[in-house]
Parts: sequence; C-alpha cells; structure tokens
Amino acid sequence: MLTDRHYFLLAVVLYGLSAIYSVFLWRKGFRTHDRVNYGLLLAGFILHFKAMLMRGLTFDRCPVNNLYEAMMFVDWTIVAAYLVIGLLPRLRYLGAFASPVIFAIGVFALMPSLDIPYGSKPQFGNGLVSLHAALTLLSYGAFGLSSVAAAMYLTQEHDLKFHKLRAVFSLMPPIDRLEKITSRLLWAGFILLTAGLAFIPFLLKEHPEPSAASDPKAIWSALVWCLYLGLLVMHSRFSQSGRKFAWGAVGTFAFVLLTFWGVNLLSPAHRF
Amino acid sequence: MPLVVIGLSHHSSPVTVRERFAFAEGTIPEALQKLRGTGIATEAVILSTCNRVEIYAASDLPEKQAMAELRQFLLDHHHYADPLGGEIYAYGEQQTLEHLFRVACGLDSMVLGETEILGQLKRAYETALACQHTGGRLNKAFQKAFNVAKQIRSQTGIQRGSVSVGSVAVELARKIFSSLREHQVMIIGAGETGEKTARALLSRGAHSIIVSNRSHERAVELARELEGRAIRFEEWAAEFPRIDILISSTAAPHYVLDRARLEPMMKTRRNRPLLLIDIAVPRDIDPDVNFLENVYLYNIDDLQAIAEDTLQQRREEMARCEAIIREKARGLFFAPGAGAIGVKTNYSGLGKASA
Repeated sequence: MLTDRHYFLLAVVLYGLSAIYSVFLWRKGFRTHDRVNYGLLLAGFILHFKAMLMRGLTFDRCPVNNLYEAMMFVDWTIVAAYLVIGLLPRLRYLGAFASPVIFAIGVFALMPSLDIPYGSKPQFGNGLVSLHAALTLLSYGAFGLSSVAAAMYLTQEHDLKFHKLRAVFSLMPPIDRLEKITSRLLWAGFILLTAGLAFIPFLLKEHPEPSAASDPKAIWSALVWCLYLGLLVMHSRFSQSGRKFAWGAVGTFAFVLLTFWGVNLLSPAHRF
Repeated sequence: MPLVVIGLSHHSSPVTVRERFAFAEGTIPEALQKLRGTGIATEAVILSTCNRVEIYAASDLPEKQAMAELRQFLLDHHHYADPLGGEIYAYGEQQTLEHLFRVACGLDSMVLGETEILGQLKRAYETALACQHTGGRLNKAFQKAFNVAKQIRSQTGIQRGSVSVGSVAVELARKIFSSLREHQVMIIGAGETGEKTARALLSRGAHSIIVSNRSHERAVELARELEGRAIRFEEWAAEFPRIDILISSTAAPHYVLDRARLEPMMKTRRNRPLLLIDIAVPRDIDPDVNFLENVYLYNIDDLQAIAEDTLQQRREEMARCEAIIREKARGLFFAPGAGAIGVKTNYSGLGKASA
C-alpha cells in the first residue's frame, strides 16, 4: 500500500526527470517545444496532489503542520501556478526554469527529519492557524515562480545584450512579457503574504507567548514582506530597470529558500 | 502516364534568359489550354516566378518524348530561337516529384527555406485547377507537395529564423516586445536598407513609423509611402521618449547618438526597453550605449552575422529534409519496374545528365 510520502516521492522523481530534460533543452538552445516538460510536471503534479490529499484527509486538516508539509505545499503551489501559466504555449518554457527549483524543493522536503510524526493524538491549532500557514506558503509559491520567470528574463536579456544567436533562435517569450509575469506573480505573492500575516494579531490573542516582536520567524516574515514591498515599489513607482527587478526577485526568493528552515528552527512558535 | 517537369530556374540560367521564358500571370490559362491542345500533356501546371519558369505535366507520351516536346513547346511559345546550353532542365517521374517537393519546401529557392514560393506554387496550381487542366496525377502530386512542405516546416528547422537584415530586426524586436502593435518605430536617414527594415516591422504590426532625414523632402516622401509621419532632422531627439525601436542609417561621418546623449533620454523614457538598429556605415550609434540598461544595440554586422548563422543552420537541415522528400516521393505513384523513374535530362544535349 503506497503512503502519501511514496506518492510525493514519485512526484519528485518526475520533477527530477523534468529537470534533466530542462538541461537537454538548455543544451539545445531552447529551440525545441517544451511539451515534454509540461507533461512530466503535470504527471508529477497529479501524484503530488494525491499525496497532499491523502495527508490532508488523514488528519482532516490542510497539510501545513510540519516542515515537510510546508515545503510540499510551497512546491505544489509553484507547479500549480506553472501549469496554469504554461497553458499559453509561449510561456511554457517557464517549466524548463521552474523544474530544477521544484525538484530541489521536493528533495529538501523529503528529508526524513522534516516530517515529524504527530503522535497518536495530534493537537493541531484552529482553522486560523491553517489559513495563516496556507496563505503564507501560497505566497512563497508565487514568489518562487516569479523568481523562475525572473531567471528566464535574465537569461534572455543576457543573450540579447551580448548578441547570442540563442536570443533569436530560442522559443522563449519576449523580455517585456517576462517582466510583466514576474511583476504580476510578485504582486500575487505579496497580497497572499500580506493576507497570511494579517492573521497574526488574531493568533496572538489566542497564544500571547511568545510575542511577535521576539519571535525570529515573525521578524523574518516582516523582513521578507518589506523586501518584496521595496522591490515592487521600486519597480512600479521608480521605473527600476527590468534587469535589477529580476535580480531582486531571484535574490529575495533565494534568501527565503536558504533561510526558511533555519528560521523555523529558531522560532518557538513555528517549530514543527 | 509519366509525370514530368521542364523548366529554368536561377540555378540553371541567368535572369536575361529566364525573363524571356516567363509567363505573365494572365496568360497562363491560355498557355495551358494551348499546351493541352497540342496533345503533349493531359494535365499541366505552369509555375512562373522571378526565379523559375516550370511546366509540370502528365503525358500519355513516353517520358523522353514528352520532355522533348514540352521543351519545343516552351521554345515555340516564347519564340525563342537563340542557342541554349544547359539552361533548360527536365526530370522524369520520380525526380519530378522530388523536385516539386523541394520547390514547395523552399529547398530549391535562392534564399534557402523561404516560404513565398509555397504561396506561388499554390496559386499556380489553383489557376490550373480552376481551368480544369489538372487531373488525378497532378492533383495528387501537388496536394502531397503542400503536405510535405507543411511537414518539413513543422519537423525540421529549414524555415526557422530570418535570413535578411529586415527580418532579423523584426525577430529581435519580437524577442524584446510581446507585440509590435503598441510600439513606435523611428527611422533616422532614409536609406534603402532602413526603409526595408521599417517595412518589415510594419508588416509585423508595428504601431507606426516616424521618419527623420537631413533632406526633409525625402523624409516626407518616405513617410507617405510608409503611411507614417515625417519630422525634421533637428527634432528627432524630442520624439525620442515615445520611440521603442530606432533604425539609423544616416550618412553622417560621426556618431548621431552616443552614451552621453542617450543616458538622460532613457530616464525620460522611464527605462522602457529600446532596440537600436544601426545599419549605417560608418556607424551612427556609439557601441558604448549597449552598456546602458534596457538598451539593445545591433549594427549591420550583428544582423548579417545572425542572418548568415541562420542560413548555415538551414543548410545543416537539408539532409533531413531531403530524406523526408525522398520517402514521400517514393510512397506516391511508386510503380515497380517503371523504367522511366529517375530519368533526368538536361537539354545541353538530350540524355546528358546534369548536376
């Protein structure tokens, strides 16, 4: 009998194949249509969704109650968003850039120490906690995909700037469209993050300790919120160049990815 | 009933000869009628373009006789009495099909892989079809040729990329801007290449063209042709904030646009991407501007290098295309033991094979 972890493992294997195929596409100069990647990610997504559904139904909760589930949720958001955006053929190449990130997050989520058992009588928080967690994790998914679009922008921009033949031959979308996608995904992520963080005062009413001011995760979240706000304001109000904006999106998400686990370990309120 | 082709192309003859064999579009139905009236062909299609004149025919005559009589028809119809070398070629059934497929795919064109010929071939076929000069053999051959062209287009890279300066500029613009419809183009200097590039951009939907030239009269004339707007040469910088694509081709001996001049202009454009196409020699735009953010500068050498690389890549695709064509031609009308298959004649001397 396959468990939810088995299904997720199979999904990650498919994401891995997609990442390998992306290397092939890159070596070919992104000239081949990206249908194979889309198919692999779609198949992986189905298994991924099954894994999340099984876990969610087992505990009758949104599966965001430990770090494994959190990472699985972020990964799922990125794949889901890509599958919707990838319906447009010219944007399907996002998959070639997204699959290595999706695969890396999946492998990280599968580390055994992240999936801490709940015990025989798990004590979950109320619905507000689930909503808070789901919204913030969805926002990280949107930020993740925006960083993928930004990486694609940087590749295409570099090829155009340095007159690489790949700029003309590749099937990648034009840079102004990539800039728009990056911006829209960042806005979506920012709104979701803001909504997720807006629940904090209500959660603090129920659990006043530790205070938000002393909780590393709360400080980290505020910092991430400020970074994304700064990025969006600089782009929309001060006409920041597309290149700087793309680097900002990639850099900020890299910061989120690299510090997410550590901050959770430091935070008593978020230690899963 | 063999299928044959006889004709001249840019490979076999200079334009001075080809033009004497060309059929004016309006005279083709009459020529087809005349050809069928002679009894040489039961079905026929005449293709006449600037690079080739060809008659595709199905005949009841033996293959070699059909080819010889078609040649004579061609000479008589155009009253051509001058001596000829290897200008006129003729192919037997199997090679006719392969040749037709190659023509449809642009493999026999002057610009390898160009697609215009497919449209011309379709029009030639439709003309013959409308006048009922085609039958089962040619209908099948031409329909197959159009299918093969479609297959080759989708399965190989023979038509990928751009091979002229104008179309490379369009490709570059489409890699920067999602739609050219919202973007303004400016030409500085009303040279021929600049005009062609502007026309290519307009044909792909560019919003409109602003023309600026030292001779304002020439700018007005070109703007009228391109349905754009002319401005005085001293005023082009004032229009700059609204421009997204600039084509420069002046005869100025110095840079018209340099980094010091462009940098403040970019701020007024709120850092929108800017594509600069410098096709002037000596160059009009300081190469240093390419270091500015959101500025993409291509000079004539860059564009020609891309066009040449594209052609090279197309040449590398030839073997794949030829393999598909051979397979498809073999599949159509293959008759074991048909002695006519593979006959190719060059009329520098009947029966002497040509390259």
